[in-house]
Amino acid sequence: MELSEFKKFSSLFSEYTELRIQENRNVSIAIVKGNIVRNSRTALSGVSARVYKDGFWGFASNPEINSAVIRSVIKDATANAIFLATKNSRQVKSLPTTSGGRIEKDFSTSKPRITQKEIIEFLRDLDDRLVRTFKNISTRTLSLNCLDMEKKLLTSSGSLAYTVIPRSILYVVLTTLKDGKPIELYDTYGGFGQIEEHFQDLEDLMARIGTQYEHLQKKAEGIHPDAGLKDCILDADLAGILSHEAIGHTVEADIVLGGSIAADYLDTEVASPLVSMTDFASSALGRQCPVPVFVDDEGTPAQDTVLIEHGILKSFMHNKETAAHFGVAPTGNARAYGFDDEPLIRMRNTAILPGPDKLDDMISSIDDGYYLLKSSNGQADSTSEFMFGIVMGYEIKKGSIGRAILDTTISGVAFDMLQTITMISDEMSWTCSGMCGKKQSIPVGMGGPAVKCKINIGGK
Amino acid sequence: MRYREAVEFALADLLKKGAAKASCHLEVNRKQEMNIHTGELSLFRTNENASLSLMALAGNKKGSLTINKLGDKDIKDAVEEVVDLAKSSQEDPANDIAPYQEAADFQKGQLDPDLDAMYQRLQDFNQEVRNRFPKIILEEVILDHTRSDRIFLNSNGVNFTVREASYNFVPMFTAKEGKQSSSFNYTYLVKEKLDQDFITACTTADLLQQASEQIVTEKMKNKFMGDLIITPDCIGDFISYITNYLRDFALISQTSLFQDKLGKEVAHPLLTLRSLPLAPEFPQGYFFTNDGFAAQNSTIIDGGVLKSFLLSLYGANKTGLARSVNSGNCYKVEAGETALRDMIAQVDRGLLLCRFSGGNPNDKGDFSGVAKNSYLIEKGTIRYPVSETMISGNLADLLFNIRGISRETVNFGWQIMPWIHFGGVSISGK
Repeated sequence: MELSEFKKFSSLFSEYTELRIQENRNVSIAIVKGNIVRNSRTALSGVSARVYKDGFWGFASNPEINSAVIRSVIKDATANAIFLATKNSRQVKSLPTTSGGRIEKDFSTSKPRITQKEIIEFLRDLDDRLVRTFKNISTRTLSLNCLDMEKKLLTSSGSLAYTVIPRSILYVVLTTLKDGKPIELYDTYGGFGQIEEHFQDLEDLMARIGTQYEHLQKKAEGIHPDAGLKDCILDADLAGILSHEAIGHTVEADIVLGGSIAADYLDTEVASPLVSMTDFASSALGRQCPVPVFVDDEGTPAQDTVLIEHGILKSFMHNKETAAHFGVAPTGNARAYGFDDEPLIRMRNTAILPGPDKLDDMISSIDDGYYLLKSSNGQADSTSEFMFGIVMGYEIKKGSIGRAILDTTISGVAFDMLQTITMISDEMSWTCSGMCGKKQSIPVGMGGPAVKCKINIGGK
Repeated sequence: MRYREAVEFALADLLKKGAAKASCHLEVNRKQEMNIHTGELSLFRTNENASLSLMALAGNKKGSLTINKLGDKDIKDAVEEVVDLAKSSQEDPANDIAPYQEAADFQKGQLDPDLDAMYQRLQDFNQEVRNRFPKIILEEVILDHTRSDRIFLNSNGVNFTVREASYNFVPMFTAKEGKQSSSFNYTYLVKEKLDQDFITACTTADLLQQASEQIVTEKMKNKFMGDLIITPDCIGDFISYITNYLRDFALISQTSLFQDKLGKEVAHPLLTLRSLPLAPEFPQGYFFTNDGFAAQNSTIIDGGVLKSFLLSLYGANKTGLARSVNSGNCYKVEAGETALRDMIAQVDRGLLLCRFSGGNPNDKGDFSGVAKNSYLIEKGTIRYPVSETMISGNLADLLFNIRGISRETVNFGWQIMPWIHFGGVSISGK
């Protein structure tokens, strides 16, 4: 359906209304030890409407997309809002009438599309090369996941948007045996864009997987870290997940209203003055972000949200309703994953900003500590207490990198830990391989430099 | 196109377009969902969706595709694509479909939601929490009624039809007083009927009370080897860790902790774990497996002995091991003989672990993470809620270190779990 035709449905809006047509297209292929265990495609599309009346939201969705169904979901969403409004009342402020106007951003590749057969041939070729090149792996898994999110949005505030945001992620898990026991290490490759934008240079990809293999060989000879509060350097991956999980979630305004410890921290010092942190919308430091958002699913133009500036907590992330509650402008953070999902306050591309230090100087400054490179997962709490699994890291002894460490966990209270940051590197990198879970899963970007801090590390 | 006609059309077209064998699984869902946000019931959602999953075998090559449209052209296009996907894959003799079984038609649950009752139960819950637990903020509470209509057909003549529905309740909350907050906590219940207040269901009131107490915590110092009593809300995570090692991926990649353990002791004799998808206690049970076999109840661990993996037909063919009679889930850990009160009294030093924030154990079974919403137990008495406390251990060792299983169990509608007492766990403060 063309945008001009889609726009005509605004005549059916009787209340504040968002109308969205969306398709999520997914390619998923997994090869375990040379066996194709998954070879699938998914295309899920439909239309949804969300209506706001007297402080109550109604939402309806349907997988069919035609004029009759669109009329029906608008009617059903309105009826759902009225159902609640007739049973109760709420004292709420009016929603801000932000409008992104007309926005069109299509990041589909301009290259000829490659077929699933060609993708499988590429993965099988890669798998063969892994076996031939890396002699000490006992098993390996290649898992490719490509997701294109295509959205059309029309709001009663006047936003009309069409976006296609793709990403392509290749997960590589290598396993080796040490004394008969498996030791594994994963890494991810790819990122923003369709698959045609990635993996064109197989030699380069093999070289990067070679680095992963070298880390695995060192990990196989690794030691358990000494448990306790240690001087650590969190590399970019971990600084990114720290920004997202441990700090970012606590300053999402719905979580703030739900009891987050950060509710009382606005305009107070929550971190070392070295620390600045932003949730970027579409570009950061002159480059496009891995999950660019130009307009959110409430039709608000997406703006960068400065969360921490020189250690001071400056703002929360908002949708229209929480912005009205706090008396601020919405920040463009309302995002939905599927056509049948309502927009929630979600991060986009969250990062600690680079500092003045060189990584080598940071390592040299530590007498007894750890350099932590890669996380398996992360969880955080309304108190900002967090836990990250660590799957790759090294000890630092007398200013030099030492032995690798085995899988462990780091934990702490983010707003305490941020105060211990004493150095921040001048280089920054992004990842977007993960999905953030909060009722719905959604792709997010996380980034950062390396940071030196004190953190609690688990041992055996 | 109506549901059955759509699935029959898809299967016929798959065979016509060159699939040697094929299966089609249609699931049509209608969800009515009410949400409390920050203590106010403010969102009502009605979702309809369909999922038509097509699987084709071209020789031994497999492809699968899922769409949510049931139009004639949509299905024809999807059939062409999935046959192409299959042809583009690799030969693998392990790929197959379920053999013929007698056709069956299943139904359970209240197929039509009672929207007024949903609203009232949710508002009653909201009011009860305000009255009884004034420090609690209900960050988000979701109550939905989901009806699913399923049809599974394959080219060997498998023909299953299911109509089912259940109510699902998920409260997520934090306690706050002044500038201090507790950790968040949550639970998940599945009900066939709205015949009980949610505040009195399962462990809900206990968790709300605990969160209210957990605004002020104490940081433990030192590290010690101690005991864990893991609550029914938390033990499901550890059961998942165990069962992940029993599935296709771990066994095909030969990274399972229990690779060669079938028929051998993997846990203390006190532990019996069953998967009961057909049990009437589970509104969230299921009638057939993802690959088209009529589901049966099973015993996975019997008195500490591993009795069954959780292998699909593909996993079984690939490993040469027996296919599981179900797809897992609907887990029940059999009750023990120890009263919870006595179990706590037996702990010299350890934790009542109420929520665990940690990742999956690694291939060796090592795990570590943070004890959330949890309490220190000393000399048989629950002392105080803790924060910044880590636990670590090895899952294989942990299973042999079971000291007791409670006689009390909790039926959440999707799992039935007791409290389990483990020894020999590393517990460390900051």
